[in-house]
Amino acid sequence: MKPRPPTMRAKRRYILARILPYGMAADQKQVYLSVIEAATSLLGDAAVGFAQPAVVFCEGGYAVVRCRRGTEKDIATALATVSAIADERAALRTVAVSGTIHALRRRMKPIRPLSGAGDVKFGETYFTVYRYPRQKVDLVEKGIKHQKSLFFTEADLEER
Amino acid sequence: MKITDACVHPYPAGDSTLARMAIEAAELGFDSIVAIGDARNRYPGIEVLRGAVICAASQKEVIRQVRSPAVRDADVVFVNAGDISFNRAVAAVKEVHVIRNIHATRRNAFDHVAARTAAERGVAMDISMAPIVHLRGTKRQKALQRYADILSLQRRYGFPLTISSDARSILGQRSVRDIRGLCALFGMTGAEVGEALSSVGRITEPHQPVRVVG
Repeated sequence: MKPRPPTMRAKRRYILARILPYGMAADQKQVYLSVIEAATSLLGDAAVGFAQPAVVFCEGGYAVVRCRRGTEKDIATALATVSAIADERAALRTVAVSGTIHALRRRMKPIRPLSGAGDVKFGETYFTVYRYPRQKVDLVEKGIKHQKSLFFTEADLEER
Repeated sequence: MKITDACVHPYPAGDSTLARMAIEAAELGFDSIVAIGDARNRYPGIEVLRGAVICAASQKEVIRQVRSPAVRDADVVFVNAGDISFNRAVAAVKEVHVIRNIHATRRNAFDHVAARTAAERGVAMDISMAPIVHLRGTKRQKALQRYADILSLQRRYGFPLTISSDARSILGQRSVRDIRGLCALFGMTGAEVGEALSSVGRITEPHQPVRVVG
């Protein structure tokens, strides 16, 4: 099939969203399902069908969401209502909106844990410590599934 | 004009410490936050105000709790909304700054009489983002209806509004841009959102006539 000429294609916008918490290994399909659920429940089937949201890719703690031009504000608002990805508590924070993925890639600054990970015990629970820039410390409960997370800073951890 | 998140619940009520929430709030574009509970430390780049929430069934109980040391030390005093007579009475209590949790009350629990009293006394109504972000279906629709009601009363009577994330975690905090988008869902304009985000400063330090001392 012959592809449509560029002038006849629908214009798109791309939204760059940061995935929180930082260490979350989010699957593209799971992010898509969360985005669609949030957008459909907020805006309705007709509006979401018109906006055609899709998750283009997820990497480095970021997700790029594609939508029809003119609907990017609605979709960005819907992204703010995402509170879980694959039954794990999460949030999507809109960083930038652009007409090209190339421009968004320039805005992606992957946040990786700093060295110095360790273990800490609160009460009866053991947590793995992940340190991030700006003195941020994420504590993830040791376990297999549905681990509790705590969000501290370096100073908070030293006080305990 | 300070952009303020009017209510966050740090650890141990939530899973994020106050310091971490302060860092996140600064990154999200806020100048200050109101933390419920003990907020004594200073954090660079952001002002942290101390808030206290009163949950009571009658005006008498509110007045009794307002006199407790924990509430007296607070910069911002919140009262959870109740039925129509309770809200009318609470709007007239001098020490109360903000009435919150209005989305959880019955329809018309905050009426034109309470709105007029709140406008005269400078008592604010809080609009929480948590029900819009976390609820789904009819519960969220009701919350949006309640907020639209409050907004129409605010436009008529001019009482202050505050906007809070009501976050118990950094995952519940939202940026100023996201808040503008969420508030647009019930018809709030960008200018009104800006006014509401900066109203905590005006509530804690109201404009008063200049007094000659000495």
